[in-house]
Amino acid sequence: MADAEVDVRNPSGLHARPAATFVRAAGGFAADVRVTNLTRDPERSASAKSVLGVMGLGVSRGHRIRISAEGGDAEAAVRTLVDLVDGGIGEELDAG
Amino acid sequence: MSSELRGVPAAPGVATGSPWIHRPLPADGVARRSISAASEMAVGELERLALRLRDEGRLDEAEILEAQAMMAADDELLGRARERQADGEDPVAGVVAAGEEVATVFAAMEDELLAARAADVRDVAGRIARHVAGVDAPRLERRSIVVGTDLAPSVTVELDRALLAGIALEGGSRTSHAAILARALGIPAVVGVTGLVERAAASHELGVDGATGTVVLDPDAAALDRLAHAAADAEATRAADEAFHRMPLATSDAHRVHCFANVGDPADTAAAFAAGAEGIGLFRTEFAFSGRPAPPTEEEQATAYEHVLRSAGDAPVVFRLADIGGDKPLPYLPFPPEPNPFLGVRAIRLAERHPDLFPTQLRAILRASARAGRIVSIMAPMVADAADLAAVRRMVDDAHAAVPDAPMSRVGIMVEIPSAVLLADELAAGVDFMSIGTNDLTQYLLAVDRGNPELAMRQDPAHPAVLRAVARVVDAAATRSGTCDVAVCGEMAGDPAGAMLLVGLGVDELSMEPRAFGAVKRAVAGHTRAELAALARRALGASSADEARALVAGA
Repeated sequence: MADAEVDVRNPSGLHARPAATFVRAAGGFAADVRVTNLTRDPERSASAKSVLGVMGLGVSRGHRIRISAEGGDAEAAVRTLVDLVDGGIGEELDAG
Repeated sequence: MSSELRGVPAAPGVATGSPWIHRPLPADGVARRSISAASEMAVGELERLALRLRDEGRLDEAEILEAQAMMAADDELLGRARERQADGEDPVAGVVAAGEEVATVFAAMEDELLAARAADVRDVAGRIARHVAGVDAPRLERRSIVVGTDLAPSVTVELDRALLAGIALEGGSRTSHAAILARALGIPAVVGVTGLVERAAASHELGVDGATGTVVLDPDAAALDRLAHAAADAEATRAADEAFHRMPLATSDAHRVHCFANVGDPADTAAAFAAGAEGIGLFRTEFAFSGRPAPPTEEEQATAYEHVLRSAGDAPVVFRLADIGGDKPLPYLPFPPEPNPFLGVRAIRLAERHPDLFPTQLRAILRASARAGRIVSIMAPMVADAADLAAVRRMVDDAHAAVPDAPMSRVGIMVEIPSAVLLADELAAGVDFMSIGTNDLTQYLLAVDRGNPELAMRQDPAHPAVLRAVARVVDAAATRSGTCDVAVCGEMAGDPAGAMLLVGLGVDELSMEPRAFGAVKRAVAGHTRAELAALARRALGASSADEARALVAGA
């Protein structure tokens, strides 16, 4: 069991292309990975391996999310996904 | 013996071919494939289509299809579909309903980017449902006219373009996806043809004339001959129009009218001037606001507007303040649901709810004006009366006070609300120009919803009531002391018959999509100013838009 919180700072949040990139990355791990949009609804989570689930969380720029995982490679999964979000998920981050 | 059906012209050109009917899915309770197998087939199709689009360099479309391929394998969707099947629901309808459930969640999001994905989800669910129903991917085998109630984007991209001769739809309007795509690809199309699918299914061959909005069922020798003539005419018209493209917009006795371009993207500015535009009569600034999670800053806007002004050189540029409404909400400007967004809190009516929106935009426009060292025109949409205009004037004055190095701007209004026509005398006294938005003016004046395909035939600005409204605005501008120009920036300005009437009514400037320049210039050049004025006077007394158009056709 591993979890971490991270701020989403890339312009289009977890929509469209970034959502697809995020879900593909999550799909590479055996662990059961879940995402929660703490800004919008801390009570609801979705599988990080479902693009519809992730997009359904409505994560926009400036939102804070929690990524939690359970299973063999849980720690690696959380670390990888947090780094991905921190790096802008393939989108440019504004300075500051 | 051939017969004809009439619809709404959606994309010009003439074509004949076999009818290929795009049918809704059967709901006979029979699953011909499991949901898992159908999902796999859908994923495979979408991935292949995405690859093909990538090869063609259409990366944005490819990305949408790649995301759809992921959706097609998503348990969020498939799980709901399986539950419905387990509950005894029709398996095909169950997949569609599951897609609808997920899409509804997306559509309700106040984020525009995400809300747009609802259509993608529905499309994916439809594709899986098709495989569950055992219906194969659409494939054209010969030159075909594609017939249906409507066409989804993913169906259209799948069709073999070499065999797709024409499109004829029962539903849709000039502004529906299929119509826009047909015009972009140069495929003749007719939409809004009542009773078409049933009649076409019983026919062996179809003819489509996208200029007149005619569909011919089983054309006989005489009808084929007429279609061939129409095709030759269409080509001759295109060539004749082309010859006028770069000429001035003038009557045969050299009465000049300004020929301006409507532009909605800074990247298109240079192309509009290359096509012969004398100025930008309508720059839609919504581009700066849409497709982003947060509002554009003053500096971001100023940079974009400066780019437009520099591409324009010394030519006039009219920036229309953001025309945003509840029909297309933005993530950072949430709209409470409104039953009638076109009669709701839109355009300048947003100033109260969002007090920074227009002051920021006005300062950005003036900063761009100062940096480019040239004057700009500012146009306010949805001005209903003198009080609205006074509020706009105050905001413009404040912006000038904040940006003292900008040259004094020209200020004008869109005339699109009927009250602005009735109050044109008072409004003309307070502006430098008025630009008539004939699309919305027609919708409001005739109480015809622009988006309702059943009423598409009634949305015609050649209607005598619209012509009288234009005449009234021209009169109001003429009687005012000093100069107040009257422009028309609706689709009517880019329609040759409409342009003839507008010039006859005394409009100073026509602003249109640049591709219409040639046809409009050729139509106006065929008559003297006095002939067009006499034609317009007769059209003012017509009993309907059709009668007004018949008068123009006979001129």
